[in-house]
Amino acid sequence: MIDIISLTGLDISEGISKGGFKANEIYSFYYNRIKKIGSDLNCFVDVYAEGLTCEGRSPLKGVPIAIKDNICIKGKRITCASKILSSHIAVYDATVVERLKKSGLVVVGTTNMDEFAFGSSTENSFYGPAKNPWDKSRVVGGSSGGSAAAVAARIVPFALGSDTGGSIRQPSSLCGVVGFKPTYGRVSRFGLIAFSSSLDQIGPITTNFTDCASLLNIICGYDENDSTSVSLEVPDFTKSLQDNIEGLRVGVPKEYFGEGLDPEVRDAINKVIEVLKNKKAEIVEISLPTTDYAVAAYYIIASSEASSNLQRFDGIKYGIRAKCNGLKELYAKTRKEGFGEETQRRVLLGTYSLSSGYYDAYYLKALKVRRLIKNDFDSAFKKVDVILTPTSPTTAFKIGEKSDPLSMYLSDIYTISTNLAGLPAVSFPCGFTKGNLPVGCQIIGKEFDESTLVRVGYSYQSATDFHKKIPKE
Amino acid sequence: MNDLEIVIGLEVHTQVKTESKIFCACSTKFESPPNTNICPVCCGYPGVLPVFNEKVLSLALKVSCALNCNINKDIYFERKSYFYPDLPKNYQISQYKMPLGEKGYLEISTGRKIIINRVHMEEDAGKLIHKDNYSLVDFNRTGTPLLEIVSDPDIHSPQEAYDYLNSMKLLLIYIGVSDCDMEKGSLRCDANVSLRKKGAAKLGIRVELKNMNTFNGVRAALEYEVKRQSKVINKGENVVQETRLWDFQKLKTVVMRTKSDAHDYRYFPEPDLLNFCVSDELIESVKKSVGELPLEKKRRFMKNYDILEKEINVLISYPWLSKFFEEIILFYPKAKDVCNWLIGPFLEQVNNLDNGFSAVKISAENFSKIVKFFSEGKLNNLGAKKVLALGLTTNEDIDSIIEREKLVQVSDHEELLKFVEEVISSNPKAVQEYLEGKQKSIMFLVGQVMKNTRGKANPKVAKDILERRIQI
Repeated sequence: MIDIISLTGLDISEGISKGGFKANEIYSFYYNRIKKIGSDLNCFVDVYAEGLTCEGRSPLKGVPIAIKDNICIKGKRITCASKILSSHIAVYDATVVERLKKSGLVVVGTTNMDEFAFGSSTENSFYGPAKNPWDKSRVVGGSSGGSAAAVAARIVPFALGSDTGGSIRQPSSLCGVVGFKPTYGRVSRFGLIAFSSSLDQIGPITTNFTDCASLLNIICGYDENDSTSVSLEVPDFTKSLQDNIEGLRVGVPKEYFGEGLDPEVRDAINKVIEVLKNKKAEIVEISLPTTDYAVAAYYIIASSEASSNLQRFDGIKYGIRAKCNGLKELYAKTRKEGFGEETQRRVLLGTYSLSSGYYDAYYLKALKVRRLIKNDFDSAFKKVDVILTPTSPTTAFKIGEKSDPLSMYLSDIYTISTNLAGLPAVSFPCGFTKGNLPVGCQIIGKEFDESTLVRVGYSYQSATDFHKKIPKE
Repeated sequence: MNDLEIVIGLEVHTQVKTESKIFCACSTKFESPPNTNICPVCCGYPGVLPVFNEKVLSLALKVSCALNCNINKDIYFERKSYFYPDLPKNYQISQYKMPLGEKGYLEISTGRKIIINRVHMEEDAGKLIHKDNYSLVDFNRTGTPLLEIVSDPDIHSPQEAYDYLNSMKLLLIYIGVSDCDMEKGSLRCDANVSLRKKGAAKLGIRVELKNMNTFNGVRAALEYEVKRQSKVINKGENVVQETRLWDFQKLKTVVMRTKSDAHDYRYFPEPDLLNFCVSDELIESVKKSVGELPLEKKRRFMKNYDILEKEINVLISYPWLSKFFEEIILFYPKAKDVCNWLIGPFLEQVNNLDNGFSAVKISAENFSKIVKFFSEGKLNNLGAKKVLALGLTTNEDIDSIIEREKLVQVSDHEELLKFVEEVISSNPKAVQEYLEGKQKSIMFLVGQVMKNTRGKANPKVAKDILERRIQI
């Protein structure tokens, strides 16, 4: 039999349409892998014995896909890896799910994540931490850790994640796959259970840029159900699968190479720069001076919005309800029992920073910082076409290693700014440490210029093989 | 009390007449079975997003223009947070820092212009139905578009508050924004009231009043509260800042919550909706659509028509009626006669119709004929009312009704004389009593003539002939 796991999604779909193999063979192949390897990695929440097949057509027809457990699939359980929603069945399809179904993809199940996407390790899950396929004692990153691990372990060809401060890119970096966060407004958020409405964006996690471009073609586009989605023509991203970056100006911000950056990660990134130079890209040193304030501003804005978005989980309408006497106790006990520790921390943090008397000092100030960060990027993009940085300061850390929330928050130090600025960014594997852990490189693009990111990534992968390495089973 | 000034501010919530809700496509229909006009969006299901119904904007603009407000063109929504089971997201999408309309006024019947502080758009909450040891929630109303219209503390008596509410209601009905039916909850009112020494610059400590379900209730609650607060002040004590509920059965206000339980609503801009700009073109076209407001109409009527103010008040209290009035005038210009028939027999008959004004079919021209024939004596009062009743919901030609029903009034002496003679001879007792000075008896005899002529006799002529015949 052909080595299915080394095929791209496009290859699989073509194989099905040309009769090389049958759709149900592909499905049971991956289903069995999920059962065999996936349960050990704990990267799925629910797996469907029969995939949700649909009549639609596209170059990815028949290819299985996993969905992060915060994106609604009609008739299926959606939990956000939280106890409070552990019994909740979605009553409608998210717009992206509708688009996948119309394109004939086959949904295999929902992937593990940090509860409500609060975290950078998938340890904050009601269903327990997912394990890194490269080293099972290590985290997968987060919050879309289940999706990244599943794709890395080749137990599903690709997956969807969501990215609020790095939740697609950081786990993709730690698992050695391609994780793409489109421009804010490019993909409909309708049906994505909101963490931070002004930052969230759904994106694909794949092993390579060919699949990445094909999936972007399917999920991007205006949606009348999402007022923040943008009515802009979506280019055919597969047209950017070109090995040609000659003359491309690549900015390297010095602020992203300071204290806290693992030397092995630094070396890997420097090698990416060499590859790009060899392809005649122009490397430009730039500065993004407000970088230092990004994490602080992010945690105020994201937590504030989250505290508001999570108010609806109250035990009245759906999800679990605690045994109680009276209304106040119903709210308090349901939320105390239903939310995990990190979720409660974020809700408290956000509630505090929106409270009267604190609003100006925290939330409003954070919004001002956000504007400055955007300005930084705007002026940088006058000089360069893309910006290259490490995705994460470190490779995958040990499960349980970061017990202090602040050190965990710093895992997203390189990814947060792009969410604050609403820009597209992608992480792709660019090397391995001596301990055989993958390193991720991030490229940030101009607003709605996902195409250039696809071109850079494809050019890089044309010259390297890191994306073809598969963890031992 | 005499040295205290009353200061009242009113907060009016009015539902806006749109087919669908403010942030989803659900129907706003009233009285549907519980939880039938709902969807994941208005029920705040995980993952849903609001989409603004722009129809609400033009209606809200219309109100802001009619209330002479400054328009904030840069619009954004904010979230107002509080936990309550009738609010599915536990936040209400509303406007806070930048209301659509600001600093306007409403002129009331006394001619005072009450300052309007703000007009803003928001979504309505659902309804709780309390049972013995549990509560039910109906989300049908959730997401119905709502306008909050807040006055300055610029109202100085419970009666003025009552006037303000009536003027506001009439204005909202005139411009077609709301049907203002308090029973259906499409208009609601809360009040703030405080007292201060006359001439004092600083406002007194205010009490917020809730749970008034009628305009009379608002006035009564304010009257009660003014008395209560002045007693407190006269005892030398301080009024406590609190929210009180009007108990319409016991006719008193009771404490609901004190200031220390006040909500911190944690307002912040709604990130699921984009900011947008209200175009000058839209504002201009809305301004043009406002039309003549009730007080403007009243002034014009007073100037143009010789009718009493209290009669004009009745005419303008129904936009439909005042419009009909002016249509009739085109056919029959005696305003006084038309007005009498409209606010008298016409309204009486309309009130007996199941569907009120909407069932009326009679044309202005046909109506004008009834008034004309009555004034000219062709129809008597009874006959005219009968014609009206027959033509009201059919618009049948008045002349053919009169002919078919043989309702032409008989004023002809020769013809009436026969009936008079007959009545005199068959009612000797009444004739005798009249001759002995009992004036009432003549009316009895007139009545007999009317009866015998089946209502067609001109009663005035019949009386004249009777009197003359009896005296002979």
